[in-house]
Amino acid sequence: MTPASSNAEVTAVDTQARWPLLLLLGGAIKWLVIAGVLSLIASIQLHSPAFMSHWPAFTPGRTAAMAETAFVYGWAFNAGLGLALWILGRLGGEPLRALNWVVVGTFAWNIGLTLGLVGIALGDATSFSLLQLPGYVQPAMLVAYGAIAVAGILAWSGRRTDSTFASHWYAVAALFLFPWLLSAAQATLIWTPVRGVLQAVVAGWYAQGVWSLCLAPLALAVAYYVVPKVTGRALPAYEFAPLGFWSLIVIGAWTGARHLTGGPVPAWLPTLAIAACSLLLFHTSIVLLNLRGAIGGAGNSVAFIAWGLLAYTAGGLLDAITSFRSIASFTQFTHLVTAQQQLAIYGGVSMILFGGIYFALPRLTGRPWASAGFVSAHRVTLLIGLALLLVSLAAAGWVQANDLNHKDVTFAAMAADTRPWLLGASGAQLILLTANLLLAVNFCRSVCACCCCCAESAPVGSPFRPAATMEAHAS
Amino acid sequence: MKNGFVFFAGLFGSIALSWGGLVLGSHKQLGGLAPFFDEGDSTSYPNRPPGVAARGQLVYADLGCASCHTQQVRRPDVGADQARGWGERQSVARDYIFQLRPQLGASRIGPDLTNLAGRKPSAPDADDLMKLLYAGSELHPAYGFLFENRPIVGERSAVALKLTGALTPAPGREIVPTERAQSLVAYLLSLNNTYDYPESRPLPKAPAKPDGAHGAAPTAKKEGEKK
Repeated sequence: MTPASSNAEVTAVDTQARWPLLLLLGGAIKWLVIAGVLSLIASIQLHSPAFMSHWPAFTPGRTAAMAETAFVYGWAFNAGLGLALWILGRLGGEPLRALNWVVVGTFAWNIGLTLGLVGIALGDATSFSLLQLPGYVQPAMLVAYGAIAVAGILAWSGRRTDSTFASHWYAVAALFLFPWLLSAAQATLIWTPVRGVLQAVVAGWYAQGVWSLCLAPLALAVAYYVVPKVTGRALPAYEFAPLGFWSLIVIGAWTGARHLTGGPVPAWLPTLAIAACSLLLFHTSIVLLNLRGAIGGAGNSVAFIAWGLLAYTAGGLLDAITSFRSIASFTQFTHLVTAQQQLAIYGGVSMILFGGIYFALPRLTGRPWASAGFVSAHRVTLLIGLALLLVSLAAAGWVQANDLNHKDVTFAAMAADTRPWLLGASGAQLILLTANLLLAVNFCRSVCACCCCCAESAPVGSPFRPAATMEAHAS
Repeated sequence: MKNGFVFFAGLFGSIALSWGGLVLGSHKQLGGLAPFFDEGDSTSYPNRPPGVAARGQLVYADLGCASCHTQQVRRPDVGADQARGWGERQSVARDYIFQLRPQLGASRIGPDLTNLAGRKPSAPDADDLMKLLYAGSELHPAYGFLFENRPIVGERSAVALKLTGALTPAPGREIVPTERAQSLVAYLLSLNNTYDYPESRPLPKAPAKPDGAHGAAPTAKKEGEKK
């Protein structure tokens, strides 16, 4: 990506939405670093349980809940929303409207998340996977999300052309579906909890919904937008894209119950999930078919997206394979499940979002990234860290699964067997944290440089004070 | 997808369908699950947990114990759950109907705790659990913050921990579990679902020869016996 090309492509949509969207992306990168630190602590606690756990805020359960929450709601949602709004604005051809709502929503979302993490540290987590945020911040998160999403929906309804593109569908679906998902889960888990194991069923539906109906669509909206832009070619087999979209939206949420195989829930739930996982391979193949141009494509953002796409495909395939009862009974409750989740959410969604950020930032700021060296260093370090993390977790999970399924192996022996691999996973978390610090530094430098160059409209050195700049733009 | 109304209706229909199918469907099946009344001993099962144990479950949830411990025993043919002595039967939905926040868990870094209090050959007692929580072990973190190290005023507290070796508190001091520690241990000691519900018995294995018509007979008989 040369400076010239990035400058040439800056449109009115970009300059007008610059600060609100940089606020979202900056928030995302901040949470990515925080989640990295928390994941490192959580990872160390897996092989050395005494590490920091004498502090009540850092019991292994709470650290893991905080790390997951910061990563998903801090990094993935902020970044995904920022990029989705940007893409909807650009596809719509009109400057984004209701940007002041985006700013208010972003602040509310991030303050709510901060309070939520403090709440988890104090012991108010809900104990539902991917919905650990305490009940008292959840309504605020819902309203904040709505405030951010309004700009996207307005960009969709006010678009210049009648026709729509795949990025449109995925982005709007994520913006529209998450509030339904969160409010339904809140109503039945927090305010009027359903009874007994039904809570696990609802929590499974919600967690899968967050993945299939929000995070994956946000990432795919980015991939469908960036890949044809960078490769300069129409997407192959694009006529199948609607089928790929609807198969994810209709089938995706049904796959969550695969984690409940063998558990105290009706057996038809995992059975449906197994069938849904296999059906979802239609979606995965169509995405791969459409976006295959990314693999081997030139440019940094496409390189990230290509890796993300491979991880997304591999994740879908592994979900389908490991959902089968004979395999699930072996992998269930082990680090193999964690490895698969990391493959999906870090390898798949996050890599695509990284690619999107590398593509979007030069166009939002009107300047190239501050350091091209940091960009490639980030990519290389990230790939090494991610590969090490996945291999270590998968190996630890394999050892753990074998040990768990032999009744005579004690938990002490199992801990000793998995320890070397878990040490590897902690090393990987350290590498990932280093990699993401490179991104954070590069992001700050690029934004500061942009601040300095447009000092007349934005106070120098205050990239994160968009309320003031918003007024400047609105006038 | 030019038609916005159809598009949004499709999105809403998809999420509503999955909600209806998974959540309402399983609610229809399990929502009205009642305790099982055993006429033999005129008692209904499961027992409602005592208040202190119900409070202990909230402590268990807020510390995040479920990130390493599950509370679900799978069927005899799945994994080594039953071979490890975690339970003599699979867990069923009825086991959890009185639990405020069931802690099924998704990870087994540590052992399953479904039937901790009935563990064979030896179940831990309150002293063992208090000591594990206070001092931790190589495999388990120490939660010293659940205990109070205080000077002995008058008589030694009846609930003070009996510690030996390096853990012995300084002379004139004692380690006393807080109310949270006591609820947590009471909860852990209440974990014992041994009652055999009709639905918790494994289905009889399909006969090797193709005379499946008689396959279901033993269950029906067994259920009849129980009643």
